[in-house]
Amino acid sequence: MTNQEVSSLNRKGASKWGTLTGRSARVAVALLPLLVFMGIFFFAPLTAVIWDSFQSNDGLFTLQNYADVFKEPIATAMRTSLGLALASAVVSAIPGAVLAFLIESRGSDRLRQLISSVAGVLANTGGVPLAFMFVAALGAAGSATGLFKLLGLDIYTAGFSLYTFWGLVLVYSYFQIPLMVIVFSPAIHGLRREWNEAAKTLGATGSQFWRHIGVPLLFPSFTSAFLLLFASAFSAYATARAMTNGTIALLPLMIGNLLDGNVIFDEVNLAKALAVAMVVVTLLAMVPYLIIQRRAERWQR
Amino acid sequence: MKIFTRRQLPLTIGLFLATLFVLFPLVSATEFSLRQPATSNYGFANYIWFFTAEDFGKYLGISLGLAVVSAIILLVILVPTVIWLNLGGARFRGLVEFVSLLPLVIPVVALAIGAQTALPDFAQTDEIILGFMFAVLAMPYAYRTLDTGLRAIPLQTIVEAARGLGANWLHTIFRVVIPVVRSTVASALFMTLALSLGEYTLTSLLHWDTFTTWVTTMSQSNILGAIALSMFSLIAVFGLLLIISIFIRPTKSNVVAEEN
Amino acid sequence: MNLKRVVAVAAASAVVLGATVAISTPSQAAVNYCKVTDLKTAGGMDALVKAAKKEGALNVITLPRDWANYGEAMDLFSKAFGIKITDDNPDGSSAYEIQTIKTAPAAKQPDVVDIGVSALNGVIGAGQDKLFADYKVANFASIPSKWKDASGAWYGDYNGIIGISYDASVSPAPTKIADLTNPAYKGLVALTGDPTAGQEPFMSVYAASVANGGSVDNIQPGLDFFKKIKASGNFTSVKATGENYVAGAYKIALTWNFNAPGAIASAKAAGKNLKFVIPSDAVLAGTPYIQAINAKAPHCAAARLWEEFIYSANKGKFTADLKPADLKLSGSKLFNTIMGGQNVFVSGGATPILQDLLTKKKTLIDGPDGLNLPKGVKIQQPSPDQQVTGKALVAAQWPTL
Repeated sequence: MTNQEVSSLNRKGASKWGTLTGRSARVAVALLPLLVFMGIFFFAPLTAVIWDSFQSNDGLFTLQNYADVFKEPIATAMRTSLGLALASAVVSAIPGAVLAFLIESRGSDRLRQLISSVAGVLANTGGVPLAFMFVAALGAAGSATGLFKLLGLDIYTAGFSLYTFWGLVLVYSYFQIPLMVIVFSPAIHGLRREWNEAAKTLGATGSQFWRHIGVPLLFPSFTSAFLLLFASAFSAYATARAMTNGTIALLPLMIGNLLDGNVIFDEVNLAKALAVAMVVVTLLAMVPYLIIQRRAERWQR
Repeated sequence: MKIFTRRQLPLTIGLFLATLFVLFPLVSATEFSLRQPATSNYGFANYIWFFTAEDFGKYLGISLGLAVVSAIILLVILVPTVIWLNLGGARFRGLVEFVSLLPLVIPVVALAIGAQTALPDFAQTDEIILGFMFAVLAMPYAYRTLDTGLRAIPLQTIVEAARGLGANWLHTIFRVVIPVVRSTVASALFMTLALSLGEYTLTSLLHWDTFTTWVTTMSQSNILGAIALSMFSLIAVFGLLLIISIFIRPTKSNVVAEEN
Repeated sequence: MNLKRVVAVAAASAVVLGATVAISTPSQAAVNYCKVTDLKTAGGMDALVKAAKKEGALNVITLPRDWANYGEAMDLFSKAFGIKITDDNPDGSSAYEIQTIKTAPAAKQPDVVDIGVSALNGVIGAGQDKLFADYKVANFASIPSKWKDASGAWYGDYNGIIGISYDASVSPAPTKIADLTNPAYKGLVALTGDPTAGQEPFMSVYAASVANGGSVDNIQPGLDFFKKIKASGNFTSVKATGENYVAGAYKIALTWNFNAPGAIASAKAAGKNLKFVIPSDAVLAGTPYIQAINAKAPHCAAARLWEEFIYSANKGKFTADLKPADLKLSGSKLFNTIMGGQNVFVSGGATPILQDLLTKKKTLIDGPDGLNLPKGVKIQQPSPDQQVTGKALVAAQWPTL
């Protein structure tokens, strides 16, 4: 949208929107609600956590908590958490992307809208209910386990277990795949039908269209959606807590144990340093996400 | 049949598999909730147990109310911002997206502890604070959904038309734009509903009682009842969703809709 | 004449003034129950009960109903004295209790807490804000000095012993911890949580240690044991909860004895048959949990009455046996009619801190069936200092088990 169009819009509207300084004021007014809201309910708590992470138990300034982040078993927990996030993102991004494509390209409007709402609800499942659902289905005496047994396959003897790293990846996919559908659908939606038609008119086959136009255009959005799934799995807490008993070392669980446990009571500030470490890692994943997204924006408009 | 055409078949298969994957754990868990050991058959005894429990309506009402509050907060904050982003503030899209994704970077337990320390006492004395915290948790999804929805409509045209006819901004947003994207608004509402009925960590750490904490208290000695309550939270939202989606008109598609 | 009149007026005024003062001052100074340090300064049990009834409410925190039969304790107290009890976050942790006292607004403050002994680290001692109010219950002298604060800020209330809960269908039935290596138990053995986060699993590791050549000084054999049964496939990482049990995800778990009666009852209601036994190769007792009155308690008299109730050695009526006539009794008579808190803990399977006193007074009731201690096995109890070493080892090794 050009500046001329913007100002023509404004001229018809309220008079307070005319001048150059008015534009900065406009920016401030438009962004203010969001920034104030996040400032109070997100940044203030985050700052409290960051502040405490630099305190020792006696209230003195210290960097010891951060030094401890690199020691075992925290280092293992960091590696496992990163691994879990990566695995979950890979395992969920591909089916999610395929599903999003199929729904966006071939689904009716009503279906697309229904899926959007259903995905929104599923993306928020987690914790004890989700854990129990999977125990009921794939636990040692689960219904799916029983079905497999009927077909002659005992998955537990074969080495499968729900309460392992890969079991957790499977459970996470229950909310990760819907998340992928929600996040990736707009990109597909933007892949205009006109481009396919134009390519066809110029003589391209279906696979040529995809190789030269479709995939390159979708790839950035796919990557940024992937990074979002990564961040989501990395900080997932309630589900991991409900599923395991600590034999899988995960950072959010460690933080929970130190902040809200019954055994260790004097490492609260270490827990906060861990939380800050998690924030840093996730931010590092977010930055490429945003850069890629902005580039993908241009053709999506 | 239309869903079995060469074109539609992949979608049909995909949806079938997805539905299987979604429903299987749900049905397995629900089977437990329908067990009635006392009479050795299946039935709704566990559901009746909590439906008729003293505070069921009260706590369900609290959670539903909080869901509505957080949905309203999200809409009030995000809709004007997203409209502005799509009309002329495109330069700031990156910043807004970044800010909207921030709630994903911090584990909920740390956010709760931070909130206890950082928020002033008066902010912690009314349960409505949970509405604000839920809005924070739902922010990433809500922003995404609203942005998608608002980009799918000819926003510029509608706004120009409304303003040209003399409507002020408030009128334009609430009486013109929002009704056009009401399916998007409904999606955002369902997300906050699902979140509110399932959120436990933040609620309990901030010392509040909602439906979720009530479920935990009630579940203490009644295992099958506990399962029934968990399933109810999920099924209730889905049920509402199906009912309301019948009444909401969807927005149009513009996607690659070709033979491949 | 003038002088006489002046004196008369002065005298009359003095009398009137004195009478007015005498009438306007109550017959005794109003008691500030938040500063009361024992039953005597409270003005006796009758006065305490009266003040508590007047307050009408009690805030407790993190008390699950089938934990040492706290459900019965709360119901009994509530019904007898007409005091409404609010239980904040029954599933919460000791850390949550301390955090609540430190940061929650006045309306959310608990009156009394029941925390693990290690939670006292860092909150008690020089340089710390005083979190708890001093109060010495009537039976304070009978509490072992190891488990109480000299000025009455905190005191131990009950402790438990680790045992084996198992489904009746398990064959052969386990009787000791060493049995858990039996290949017949593949995929069936679980803990109730993470030993770095919960006392119950943490003490279970100690129990495994004692049963395998270790001691309360040395938790390593316990860790090695779990490593062994994890490698052999017996130990499954699912959390041992009621729901997971009903779903068949595990069949054997190590749990507190005072959780067993409640677990057996809820299992029965869900159609399962759960059994419990104290292992014959390790009788591992946990350290007592600690009662304390919050210095910022909103209901000071009710809080103190609750503590008197918890430490009462009386043998009396449970909630189900209370009659309307009982409720009309005066404070101290009513107090003596109801079952004392220590016995309520016994009915839940726990070992009360005042066990010796109850035995001496012959008021100790029988515990639930099936929780018998094996004969001739020494009770081991890791001290808080020993637990510090144990914690460090578990925290370092458990995530990579």
